[in-house]
Amino acid sequence: MKPPPFTYVAATSVAEAVAALAAHDGEAKVIAGGQSLVPMLNFRLLAPAALVDINGIRELDFVDATADGGLRIGALTRHYTLLTSPDVAERFPVLGEAMRHVAHLAIRNRGTIGGSLSHADPAAELPMMVTLLDATLTVAGPGGERQLAAADFFDGALTTVLAEDELLTTITLPPLPQPHGWGFHEFAQRAGDFALAAAAVVLTADDGAAANVRLAVMGVDENPSRIAAAEAALVGQPVSDDTIAAAAAAVREAVDPPEDLHGSATYRRHLVGGLVERAIRDAWARATGNAGGAA
Amino acid sequence: MDNLPEDLPADLNLMEMRPKIIGARVQRVEDPRLLTGTGQYTADIKLPNMAHLAFRRSEMAHATIDNIDVSAALAVPGVIAVYTAEDFYGQITPPRAESKTEGFHSTPILPLADGKVRHVGEVVVAVVAESRYIAEDAAEHIEIDFTPLPVIADPREAVKNEVLLHDDAGTNVLVDRTFGRGEVDDAFSQAAHIVGGDFRTTRKTASPIEARAAVCEWDRGRRTLTLWSATQVPGVIRDTIGDVFGLSGSHVRVIAPDVGGGFGCKTCLYPEEMVACAAAIKLGQPVKWVSDRMEDLVGTNQAFDEYVHAELAVDAEGHILGLRADVVGDSGAYSIYPWTAALEPVQVISFLPGPYRMPAYAARTRAVATPKTPLGAYRGIGRPTATFVMERLVDLAARAAGIDPVEMRRRNLVQPHEFPYRTGSGLVWDRVGFIESLDAVTDSIGYDDLRAEQLKMREAGRKVGLGVVCYAELGGIGSRIAVAPGMPINTGVETANIRIDATGAITANFGTASNGQGLETTLAQVVAEELGCRVEDVEIRHGDTSLMAHGSGSYASRSAVLAGGAATVSAREVRANVLKVAAMIMEVAESDIDMVGSRIYVPGTDREMTLKQVAHTYYQEMGRLPKEVREEVPLESTRSFDPYLGTAACASHAALVEVDPVTWGVKILKYAAAEDCGRIINPDVADGQMRGGIAQGVGVALLEEIIHDEDGQILTASLVDYVLPSAVEVPIMDVMHVESENPDNGTGFRGLGEGGIIGAPAAIANAIADALDIDIREIPITPEKLFRQTGN
Ligand SMILES: Cc1cc2nc3c(=O)[nH]c(=O)nc-3n(C[C@H](O)[C@H](O)[C@H](O)COP(=O)(O)OP(=O)(O)OC[C@H]3O[C@@H](n4cnc5c(N)ncnc54)[C@H](O)[C@@H]3O)c2cc1C
Repeated sequence: MKPPPFTYVAATSVAEAVAALAAHDGEAKVIAGGQSLVPMLNFRLLAPAALVDINGIRELDFVDATADGGLRIGALTRHYTLLTSPDVAERFPVLGEAMRHVAHLAIRNRGTIGGSLSHADPAAELPMMVTLLDATLTVAGPGGERQLAAADFFDGALTTVLAEDELLTTITLPPLPQPHGWGFHEFAQRAGDFALAAAAVVLTADDGAAANVRLAVMGVDENPSRIAAAEAALVGQPVSDDTIAAAAAAVREAVDPPEDLHGSATYRRHLVGGLVERAIRDAWARATGNAGGAA
Repeated sequence: MDNLPEDLPADLNLMEMRPKIIGARVQRVEDPRLLTGTGQYTADIKLPNMAHLAFRRSEMAHATIDNIDVSAALAVPGVIAVYTAEDFYGQITPPRAESKTEGFHSTPILPLADGKVRHVGEVVVAVVAESRYIAEDAAEHIEIDFTPLPVIADPREAVKNEVLLHDDAGTNVLVDRTFGRGEVDDAFSQAAHIVGGDFRTTRKTASPIEARAAVCEWDRGRRTLTLWSATQVPGVIRDTIGDVFGLSGSHVRVIAPDVGGGFGCKTCLYPEEMVACAAAIKLGQPVKWVSDRMEDLVGTNQAFDEYVHAELAVDAEGHILGLRADVVGDSGAYSIYPWTAALEPVQVISFLPGPYRMPAYAARTRAVATPKTPLGAYRGIGRPTATFVMERLVDLAARAAGIDPVEMRRRNLVQPHEFPYRTGSGLVWDRVGFIESLDAVTDSIGYDDLRAEQLKMREAGRKVGLGVVCYAELGGIGSRIAVAPGMPINTGVETANIRIDATGAITANFGTASNGQGLETTLAQVVAEELGCRVEDVEIRHGDTSLMAHGSGSYASRSAVLAGGAATVSAREVRANVLKVAAMIMEVAESDIDMVGSRIYVPGTDREMTLKQVAHTYYQEMGRLPKEVREEVPLESTRSFDPYLGTAACASHAALVEVDPVTWGVKILKYAAAEDCGRIINPDVADGQMRGGIAQGVGVALLEEIIHDEDGQILTASLVDYVLPSAVEVPIMDVMHVESENPDNGTGFRGLGEGGIIGAPAAIANAIADALDIDIREIPITPEKLFRQTGN
């Protein structure tokens, strides 16, 4: 479990990193926290000619509260920073909760949001969160910057639309309606593992009816996704056992779960529906001020 | 005697006033070293000019090797040598573990696959290079032409011998044994209830934090081989390596330095150790191999993996009448050295009757070769499977007879007046706390109240279940009982060498080897108590074959009993000699002096000497003592201890679990275990052994499984897929020690090290079955399986 040989470039600015990537003609890889990349190198699943280390790019490590009530997050922000950020807890409590499920302390101290999004594991929390929260991702390349909607960024399991000489730099989260209710549930066999499935819901209660509903799931498809039919099943009426059941059914109908050693597609489909139900109940309880009952 | 009042009555029995060292919560003396990173593990050993070894392992489960092209690997800069099987012809005589077990067939342990491969991960080519990085780069450049052979991965198919793994064995069934007593058919025909069916325990691996490692140095001038190995059995390795390379034992030294866990998987001779030695001898340069986790998951001997058909017959009151079982064990590709393929599957039927009265028993077990990593030893060996099956049967029978499961066990446990009790398989339980441990555990969880509470929780829709289990094991086994009859080594004896040197320091040498379980502390406690010194005065040395003539190491819950026994007899002899010498120096009668805390004194007077002063006089002051004293009264003793038989140890475990009907995840709400390990040397160490074993049992029950596909490919090749429990999954537990009546084996110690893992899977399985009103036949019990089993 030793990596194959590579050369090492320590970048100190975005421009330097992009130049180094371009100079290696697609044979270089960015290394951020290294928590996903280094295992792949040690398993010899990857053999890049060069690693471009972005840990020295200070300008990519920030969490800024924006005037509109949203957040801008630098790609090098560590998981631990998001987990403990008061701005995240206040503006996007669903994200704060999701971070509690990302790996273990030692990994959270190194792993970065940019790394997690670029790695695009189907069962990773951050890709699901940027999908749920309609984030805009800023990417720098040799030709300058471009902006991508989160929904357009992921392109299948472990795949994104990033070009080999592009660097993800910033994640912008537009504001959520305040106050709002939220719910997040996931299941993994062991604490800190990638989840077998997870569900997240954000909504508001407008005159007793569910509104502004966002519902996303992960672990049950190549990429995390919002389930429009499930959102529609909830909007415009009070959340009830019936609407919850309808939303869960819509999710089970929409997803195409993978099979692996830890769970069959049938089980995952069942599981994600159950998690969706729990997430909706929590979100509704919070939105209607009955959060005491929410887990 | 700082802590005794000065005005002691002269006739006071000082033995009774002595501070007790055995039984005290002495802090582990090895911990400061291990916890501050100043321990030395095999991987820490760096020698001048040391080369590094990596292997090219088989990607095929069963195939002939038609050609190996190593030229590209040899061309990689920094590569020193590349070896295939032929390179060791004439240098290595592959060992074979023989056995007189009926129907036994041995297999060789090869340094490298020769002509054919028999499992994925088998070592085929060895690369020696200036660094491990280079060695791994080069290994990738080796071209091997394989012709696939048919793969029969399921041992129940392999018994048909349609495809042979070892042509010279002539069969895949390496062991076929039957045990029994009584009229089993009669028992079943009289039964009010017969329960049972097919049970399955899947393959596991021990996964110590420190994987295996070896560093070998060959001194050309002295023709002496030194092998540092992360092993539990340095003595066994020394004896075998001597034979493998045709060297006398005085020219082979095997050192097990600090070892980071073993749990049984480090009790075998492995191919990599032979290759490291062979390469060091060929090159005249030290060679190091450190297993990485991927290698560990395919190259370290694995465990469990049995198919058990078992049935239990009981009468209308739930009394057990008889038991029958048929076990097929998946032995993997080779019969391990020195334990043979008999080890795991034979233990299953040896221990299946458990701590219960068993009038009639009939069992058959087969060890079947399949193209998988060999099956070896893992904590508990066979007994976790035996206990899982038997305790499921007892719960099933209780349910069929309409009896509470705890009451069912009380009715059938061997009662105090029935000891010694010969079990259906021929093992003998001496007086041990079967009932006492069941009482302790049911009291601790408040069994009756908890049942009432469970009913309420279930009425509220919660899926909560309670499982209680009992088991018995045999520990501290002497020379009367061989793991396999005719096995190449004697596991029934250990030796201690204790000496006081010219500085007055006490060194105690043993043939054991610690792999983290606290032996340096517990053996020092035994020596200190028996000799009359303080724990910190004793230097424990073991894990080095240059210390002892013979010693087989640490495994099978044996070290406390056997090495502790040897320490006892040896320390008593040294003490007697110290007192004899001191009496002569102090010119008093031997019977008038005592030694406590390394001070020799005449009670009731102020006359005393330190051990250091006695040693100085004895060794250094010429003319002070008659020459006969130095010639005949050594301040040193080498004594062996053989408990001849073994002694029973037992425990009861209880688990309260809740199953989430959405995720089908299992949460352990409460866990309690009470065990009888006889006289306790150190309660903290005993607790730690139990807790660690139970943690592993949680993994066995809920998470861990080595999975192969039908082509023999391993699908769980990293710790992402082989799921070990982490601290979060391990419950808070209540661990209790009961002492019934200490065994008459010289020390009162019983074996303890394996117990936790034996009871936990069964307790958890029974609790889940109770929670969901289902039968559990297979471990691990995963969410997926529960989802399917509950009709989804
Ligand atoms: C034991 C373990 C458990 C884990 N459990 C979880 C879990 O439960 N949930 C979870 O979400 N994650 C989990 N992870 C993964 C962890 O969150 C990683 O930190 C994360 O996936 C990758 O972040 P990184 O900064 O370490 O990226 P790296 O490993 O450095 O890089 C990952 C990939 O992203 C690319 N990359 C990195 N940064 C950029 C960038 N700015 N622009 C373009 N490309 C970039 C790299 O080239 C590489 O291909 C776990 C990891 C481990 C080891």
